Amino acid sequence: MKCISKFTFSIALALLSFSGNAQEEKVTKDSVAAKTERYGLRVGVDLFKLTRSFYEKDYRGLELVGDYRLTRKHYLALELGNENKTVDDDQLNFTTKGSYIRVGFDYNSYQNWLDMENIISVGLRYGVSSFSQRLNSYEIYNPNQYFGENPVVISGEEYSGLSAQWIEVVAGMKAEVFNNVFVGFSFRLNRLVNQKLPNNFDNLYIPGFNRTYNGDFGVGFNYTVSYFIPIYKATVKAKAKTESKAKSKGKKK
Amino acid sequence: MKRIIMLLCLVMAFSGCEKDDICVDETTPQLVLEFYDISNPTVLKNVVNLKVTGDGMTDALNTFNGVSTISLPLKTNEDTTKYHLLLNSNSSTASNEDVLEFNYTRENVYVSRACGYKTVFELNNANGLVLTDAITPDGLWIQDTNLQTNSIITENEVHLKIYF
Repeated sequence: MKCISKFTFSIALALLSFSGNAQEEKVTKDSVAAKTERYGLRVGVDLFKLTRSFYEKDYRGLELVGDYRLTRKHYLALELGNENKTVDDDQLNFTTKGSYIRVGFDYNSYQNWLDMENIISVGLRYGVSSFSQRLNSYEIYNPNQYFGENPVVISGEEYSGLSAQWIEVVAGMKAEVFNNVFVGFSFRLNRLVNQKLPNNFDNLYIPGFNRTYNGDFGVGFNYTVSYFIPIYKATVKAKAKTESKAKSKGKKK
Repeated sequence: MKRIIMLLCLVMAFSGCEKDDICVDETTPQLVLEFYDISNPTVLKNVVNLKVTGDGMTDALNTFNGVSTISLPLKTNEDTTKYHLLLNSNSSTASNEDVLEFNYTRENVYVSRACGYKTVFELNNANGLVLTDAITPDGLWIQDTNLQTNSIITENEVHLKIYF
């Protein structure tokens, strides 16, 4: 329940910012003037990881995000992060520490009105993580408890030099809430391509990838606030413009 | 597009909650004993009211009757496990107790997230199996033993054959 309300809240917040923005802009601007679009770099931070670091004592994490607009629809995306997470399961307690980088692209499928710059995108990422694990303690599973329950074994074993590579499918949105300030979120489905496993243990949590399901499957979420740095402007080509007009007319019906 | 995102949201919202997995893998093995007829060593022989008690335990592990295969758990926090095997335990005159002692080295092997670790055992070459009589001697009912393997890593095989 706690998880669900957390997600609904983020979704609602981002959707709100979308609708609020749309109403403001619609009245003031006119589309008759030659349409230009801004190109540039957007840099930001993942608030989801940042806030989790405060309220979850077993977690510390930071993720910086950035994207660069390559074409009208395509963005080059990059995410850099560091995580330190202690997982306390029934049978295992371990700490994973490490850094990661994700590189890829986003395709903006949202047809903006006028000079709005909102984004609803799908994209792909390739992620690489380098991390270490410490097995704090574990329990031995013994189906027969004749001699009593098995005591928890304190291990402290370090597994360093571990790595993983994966592919992510990303679906997300970003909305401009103030001038050049964007709020957005994204969902990710991850699939491991390659990993270096520790000896006599497993990569149950990978920085940047999160918990591993069935050994090679994972999910992710981020909630970002970012700032757009405009670098240059480009005029929208006539063909693209009429196309967008036709589409927006169709929408208004 | 919006529908896809909503669907994704839903999937994520539920999968984000970590559920407790159930351990279904094979974990710490027990030692498997099989009983044979000493006069006809290839034929299995059922035990009669065999009461098996761990050394120092007040409750018996089990009283086996009419079976030829039994499994004994080994201690996962000590290198030695001792069992008292009392045959014909419901009779005051015909009962006979022998003691089996297993000495081994242990290794903890990773299984999975849900199971954690399991212990596998390697019986010592010199004193892996020690057969002795009860403290109040009443003669051995176990005539012969045959250790099939020193590695106790799975329950899908017989580790020790006992002839009586």
